[in-house]
Amino acid sequence: MTPREVIKKALEEGRVKLLEHEAFDIAKYYGIPTPNAILVKSPDEAYKYADEVGYPMAAKIVSPDITHKSDVGGVKLFIKNREEAYKAVEEILRNASQNAPGARIAGVIVYKMAPPGLETIIGGIRDHVFGPTVMFGLGGIFVEVMRDVSFRVHPVTFEDALEMIDEIKSSRILNGYRGQPPVDKHALADIIVKTSKLLAENEEIESIDLNPVIAYPQGAVAVDVRIIVKQQG
Amino acid sequence: MHALSKFFQPSSVAIIGATPKEGKVGRAILENFIKRFNGRIYPVNPGYDEVLGLKCYRSIKEIPETPDLGVIAIPALQVPQTLRELGEKGTKAVIIISGGFRETGTKEGEALEEELIKISREYGIRVIGPNCIGVYDNWSGVDTFFTQKMKKPPRGYVAFISQSGAFATALMDWMAYHGIGVSRAISYGNKIDVDDVDLLEYLGEDDKTRVVLMYIEGIKESRGRLFIETARRVSLKKPVVVYKAGKTSRGGRAAASHTAAMAGDYSVYRAAFKQAGLIEVDSFDEMMDFVRIFLDQPLMRGNRVYIVTDAGGVGVMLTDALTSVGFEVPVTPPELREKLRSILPPHCIVDNPIDLTGDTDDERYIRVLEVLSQREDVDAIVVVALPQVPGIKGIFVDYIAKTKEETGKPVVALTIGSEASMETAKKLQEKGVTVFESPERLAKSLKALRTYSLYISKNKPGVYSN
Repeated sequence: MTPREVIKKALEEGRVKLLEHEAFDIAKYYGIPTPNAILVKSPDEAYKYADEVGYPMAAKIVSPDITHKSDVGGVKLFIKNREEAYKAVEEILRNASQNAPGARIAGVIVYKMAPPGLETIIGGIRDHVFGPTVMFGLGGIFVEVMRDVSFRVHPVTFEDALEMIDEIKSSRILNGYRGQPPVDKHALADIIVKTSKLLAENEEIESIDLNPVIAYPQGAVAVDVRIIVKQQG
Repeated sequence: MHALSKFFQPSSVAIIGATPKEGKVGRAILENFIKRFNGRIYPVNPGYDEVLGLKCYRSIKEIPETPDLGVIAIPALQVPQTLRELGEKGTKAVIIISGGFRETGTKEGEALEEELIKISREYGIRVIGPNCIGVYDNWSGVDTFFTQKMKKPPRGYVAFISQSGAFATALMDWMAYHGIGVSRAISYGNKIDVDDVDLLEYLGEDDKTRVVLMYIEGIKESRGRLFIETARRVSLKKPVVVYKAGKTSRGGRAAASHTAAMAGDYSVYRAAFKQAGLIEVDSFDEMMDFVRIFLDQPLMRGNRVYIVTDAGGVGVMLTDALTSVGFEVPVTPPELREKLRSILPPHCIVDNPIDLTGDTDDERYIRVLEVLSQREDVDAIVVVALPQVPGIKGIFVDYIAKTKEETGKPVVALTIGSEASMETAKKLQEKGVTVFESPERLAKSLKALRTYSLYISKNKPGVYSN
């Protein structure tokens, strides 16, 4: 589905928060690297696609009615093979029906877990004065406690994005510390530029959080994508 | 002709609400125009045949021509009808001083303002205001600043756009006291029509304006993109210094997403200012420091600063301040050391800061400045001129100014002290050498100049090399 179709469907169903696989689809459409993810409806499907997705694998319940997935037993991590995938999805679906009876279930999203790296956040909002605006920051306490983030208004060039990355106070961490290699700033800048374009081209999107975007010495991947939409007019 | 030029260079003005009554806004405005405006003035007031020696018109209809500019200073309820009459007359620029509109927070006020918007669109009238003090133009004499206790600044090249009327008044007063020349000042109040974007555009084209200062509380919704584009264009021609008031978040969209929670209104403004090449200031001190340095100093081509001082301690303070904002205070290279050694007494210190010490006379300054002004590896010179040392007579002031003129590089000065210091500062400033009292403020201001210079060299290649 194109971003337009995804958004239209969500709005028709009265949802303002896109489901995980929908958000991934939109990000992917704009060339933002995301994990290889598939929405499965049954343990059999999980078994069938598991090898294709890869390991270690994560499985999470997808439902517009369930916000805290782990609280209802809707998350399984570090799945190692297709047998485990089958069991995990079976369990997740059973837990959901027991702990969240009546919740609409879209399925279970399974994806290859990203290896550890430096956690960053890339986000975007639609500002009421300046329009689409993107944000960059480091994950964890850097954003939560220090509020160490930088912003740019659309259109954002690749140079602007690199400047944003260097502008945060803790930017030296990106250059490598305590024996860690420097991370790929170009890959991050590329995601920032694409996020800005994504916002500008889809007026219904109010905000987007790519949190975390895990950065490596080569490349970066948006592990979680949240998109909030709004009815126009 | 620019769409807004009738506000600043009208050949005739109608002042509705002109009155001989002391203490009234209408009288103050009329007096301002009589004093300095060279065009034709038409006071309008149904109660008088004559006001302050001028023929007074009972209605707008009776005015024998179409006034280029209308100024309205009457109670809010009568403003819509008056605006309509000006529209009928063909006037295309109107300043509405009167308050009593949206700012009252009442339904009636809001309705009246809506009516003004409707009428202005119907007749194609450009409106500044309502609820403002309007325009102060030092070159044409258009002056609706009715705050008569305000001292008026001399003619000059700083333009000021202010969302706050009271602050505009206070700032004009302050600039008058400090002898800083003003080209035009505008306070737009409720901005039902003319806003920051329009004014910035106009001042960008204005050859009497070399530095624009803006006090902004908020840009109109949906005007953000145009604001950035306009500011970017204007910034390439002249520096625009901006102060954003209301920096704390309204928090209205806090829950929507992680990013929104971080954003607040101010962060986005800050980014937008940066992208537009604007120079943002965080305090009143910075505002005026930056305006002064931009007004008098040329662009700064590189990052290397040399300090010439008669006080070792102040030299060290300056080195710290300059270094901490990112400047290089280079160690004097060997051939320059030798050169300086040959022209200075042996007890002087030829490292950078170059310390002429407390027994210096004007001559030492002059000799060192001559040497520095010939060097390619000097991007700016800071002269510390503490007047408390006994040997200084004051002729070095001319040489400091001359160094700036001849090198085309920034030359700024620092003095600390009482009357003698003020005297030196005044003389230097008259000759275009920006003077500071605080090393830290000097460093920050020079940094602003450097940042703007970099912006220009990046976006307007060929303006200067290096």
